[in-house]
Amino acid sequence: MVKRKEKGKKKFNKGGNALFNKSTAKPNKSCPLSGKGAPEINYKNIKLLKKYVSDTAKILPSRITNVSFGKQRALSKEIKKARVLALMPYVGN
Amino acid sequence: MNYYEHTYITVPELNEEGSNSIKEKIEEILKKNDSKIVKEENWGVRSLAYSIKKNYRGKYNNLYIEGNSKVIKELEKFERYDERIIKFLSMKIKKIPEEESGLTVTS
Repeated sequence: MVKRKEKGKKKFNKGGNALFNKSTAKPNKSCPLSGKGAPEINYKNIKLLKKYVSDTAKILPSRITNVSFGKQRALSKEIKKARVLALMPYVGN
Repeated sequence: MNYYEHTYITVPELNEEGSNSIKEKIEEILKKNDSKIVKEENWGVRSLAYSIKKNYRGKYNNLYIEGNSKVIKELEKFERYDERIIKFLSMKIKKIPEEESGLTVTS
């Protein structure tokens, strides 16, 4: 009886964690913009920048895209440059 | 001496004469401040992500300039008062890239 109760408790806790912990859903945690063969972050490379922007043209947080801290900073700078030159929108539809 | 990357957008209806006169004026300003254009790219007419001064399309020109900060100040002063130029952006860069950017249009 005691054992069964413990098992039930454990399962409940796991389910509760999964609700709030988004990283568990994505097994790949390495940064897609670091390492060898990574694409160069430049405001002229609009195709790449559009991947890291939401439908409403907001910059996606790195906890969703798994971009490293330094690269995220570079990315947001380049997106802002592209916005000034009207290569990318400030607000989406 | 520093390297600068400078992009300006003109009205899409601008003919060759108009764009040549803008370029001549820019070269004149650069010459006065002993600077020069190192590299040049033409991005052609692109649709803008948002309207600028009631324009929905614009002609993009990209320049790489070798010079001092005074040149950029003079250049932006001219561009701010020219009605044919709708937007510009200049930034300091460490070195000039060798390859062409993906936005270049060959014509």
